[in-house]
Amino acid sequence: MRLLIVLLGCIGLIGCGLREKSHDSVARENDSLGDQPLEPLPLTVEFDAARAALGEVLFKEPRLSGDSKVACTDCHHEDHGSADEKPHSFVNGRPESAVNTPTMYNVRFLYKLGWSGKYESLESHIDSLMKNPKVMASSWEIATAHLSEIASYREKFRGVFPDGLTASNVRLAILEYERSLVTPNAPFDRYLRGEAQAISPDAKRGYAMFKSYGCSSCHQGVAIGGNVFERFGVLRDFFADRGHFDNADLGRFNVTQRDQDRFVFRVPSLRNVALTAPYFHDGSAATLETAVTDMANYQLGRELEDGDRTALVAFLRSLTGEYRGKPL
Amino acid sequence: MNMSSVLRSSLALGVAAFLGLLTYSAVHSMNYTEEAAYSRDLRRVQAATAELNERVLKSRSALMAQYDPLVRALRDLRELHERLKRVPEFLGNDAAFELRAQLEESEAQLRQKDELVESFKTHNSVLQNSLHYFPVLANSVIDRARIEPSGADVASRIQALISAIMLFDTSADAESTSRVLAAQVDLSTAKQAARELKLDRELELILAHSRLILERKPTTDGIVHQILAVPLSRMALALEDAYSMHYRAATDRALILRQILFSLALATVVLGLTDVILRVRRSALALEVATGELRQANAALAREREKERQLGELKTRFVAMTSHEFRTPLSVIVSSAELLENYSDRWEPERRLDHLERIRSAAGSMGRMLDDILIIGRAEAGMLRASPALMHLDEFCKHLVESLEHSSARSHCIRYTFTGDPRVTLDERLLSEVVGNLLSNALKYSPPGSQVHFDVVANDEQCRFEVRDQGIGIPEADIPRLFQSFFRASNADQIKGSGLGLAVVKKALDVQNGTIEVQSRLGHGTKFVVQVPRDLSVSRLSSTDL
Repeated sequence: MRLLIVLLGCIGLIGCGLREKSHDSVARENDSLGDQPLEPLPLTVEFDAARAALGEVLFKEPRLSGDSKVACTDCHHEDHGSADEKPHSFVNGRPESAVNTPTMYNVRFLYKLGWSGKYESLESHIDSLMKNPKVMASSWEIATAHLSEIASYREKFRGVFPDGLTASNVRLAILEYERSLVTPNAPFDRYLRGEAQAISPDAKRGYAMFKSYGCSSCHQGVAIGGNVFERFGVLRDFFADRGHFDNADLGRFNVTQRDQDRFVFRVPSLRNVALTAPYFHDGSAATLETAVTDMANYQLGRELEDGDRTALVAFLRSLTGEYRGKPL
Repeated sequence: MNMSSVLRSSLALGVAAFLGLLTYSAVHSMNYTEEAAYSRDLRRVQAATAELNERVLKSRSALMAQYDPLVRALRDLRELHERLKRVPEFLGNDAAFELRAQLEESEAQLRQKDELVESFKTHNSVLQNSLHYFPVLANSVIDRARIEPSGADVASRIQALISAIMLFDTSADAESTSRVLAAQVDLSTAKQAARELKLDRELELILAHSRLILERKPTTDGIVHQILAVPLSRMALALEDAYSMHYRAATDRALILRQILFSLALATVVLGLTDVILRVRRSALALEVATGELRQANAALAREREKERQLGELKTRFVAMTSHEFRTPLSVIVSSAELLENYSDRWEPERRLDHLERIRSAAGSMGRMLDDILIIGRAEAGMLRASPALMHLDEFCKHLVESLEHSSARSHCIRYTFTGDPRVTLDERLLSEVVGNLLSNALKYSPPGSQVHFDVVANDEQCRFEVRDQGIGIPEADIPRLFQSFFRASNADQIKGSGLGLAVVKKALDVQNGTIEVQSRLGHGTKFVVQVPRDLSVSRLSSTDL
């Protein structure tokens, strides 16, 4: 299976190479933009499909939690871009989450996880959440004990891992599933790869503004964000305008305890951003339009005209990719 | 401890040392793939550091529009450090300890660099945005201000700020800083005019960006300097130097080890060969000795067998002889006795006497034979002893000659001579055996009428007896065995005899310290010469003295 994926990847890459050459004229059109701050997602990634399939089942399994009531999908909603449509997640008997739940898509391309960049890797992220009494209130051992009561799980694990159902294998399966959550081939990625008509003229204008207004100073790279920390409110004070103060607003300060990290957050990825409302760490922006307006205001000190906002939102909507070959 | 055990112990020691060192060298052997991978990683630390620095500078100069390459370079460096902690085993524990200590120091520097880069990205994003946006914004405001005649003043103040910022962006010294500050103050005083032109919010934004540039540029540049100052590259160089040093030491050690191994193998082979050669030589020697012993044993066995065979032969002959020799006189006795029993009353006294004489003679011959056998038997059992006594030799000899001449019925004549002092101390009985046997043989093997010479000389030391006949003689080949019991010369078959006479002579002479010599010509005669010490008691005394 893995071999097949690699093989398909190779064919895809070769195909892309050929296509890029055959669309010289389009490439030249983009050349005027120079070095692009944004990069398309790779069309294929390597992962163990059998493990990922098992991980997908576990991702929806409430037995992973200490009281068998909370599953990963309770916050990372499948039908909501793997994020939560509520500003703060609120699940069975757990306190309300301090921050808005971010999407799990394309996490493998982020170099730090969480709004405050608390987690250095997917491993440390999931280990911490499993133990966290406000989240899973569990441990890999408890989860494994719950799962081993069910014959079908024992059988499934035997099919995937030589040593069957173990705490370490439960963890590995979920991690593999998380790594498989990649959404390539967004219209904008196709545009970057030279397909000039992949996005609307509005979106193209939005992309130009995205760069010239300075959004891409922070939202850049393959994940369009996620590789730099930035203060929320560079030119204007967001928290003063919002009115109340919350400990989570301190952001990275809660991790480093350094003064310069107050109100500093990991710049979120904008991939599939159209699907993951509400926005910001506090979920205060209910729509993409509000989020764009707020960002322009507080980060760039600008008020957007309606046309500009429409163009920017059109661009952001072109960032929605495909999962398992189907547009999200 | 002998030579061979020393040799074998050294051999065992050599083999043990060789195997030990071989195992050691196998465990600590240089893994060239591992070594190549490790030194490649070491060089990559430098390359990745240089790349990171270059990317920071490019980001700072807005030549690179995204931070992914920075993030990747840092991740590469972290992974490299993690990999480098697995120091190749062949370098040894000291090297691993030193390299790991250096790596930990380098990792601390990397963490510092990581934090600085993090900070750089944050500040640089804002700075780049302002540097990019400030002139665009400012120029658009100038354009809008110049539409109105009253906007010229505001436009010129904004223009002054643009110039100050541009100068600041290139030099950032005290003078350009104060110029920006002055231009900012100057522009701030035009707020009222801007409000009238409905450009007050834009003016605020221009001022905000200028303040950001003024604040973030020195900060960002300071961070860049700090990033470049982190001695990660120098540490990587030092790490590589330390590694090369340990690598050279390890290769030297491996070389020495190889030489020792080679020498040990050589020594072991030499020792082993010496041992083998020595063993072969020793076993050849042992074989030779064993062969010699075996040959001797075989010869002894053959001699024994020969003796046994001769003894058996003698016994057979003895039985044959005795039965024959005893039967003849016995039959004479038996027949004469029967005749006497049946016819004595009818016979004349002469005839009776004749038969009685026959019985007596036969019994006498049997007695003599028994005497001979007894003497030989006693001599062989070591029980024959001489009993010397003073005697008159001449008388003794004369008497003997007479009795022999008498018993041979005077068919032979014995020419007897005696010279010297006749008083000797000898064993008369043994002497009579010697001389009597020699003389009776001479008579027996000589044709009737022939002369037998018997000359006796008694000088101061010795008594010499010479018996000479003109008889049948003795074949040369028979002379060596002449004195064996029951041996009879090959030409004596026709003449009666027991083959004991000369054996008795020899035995009797042996106990008297006497000697006997024989000379013979077949068909012409035989000469025996006997010598005996004159005084046997003195000679025996002197012999015990010796």
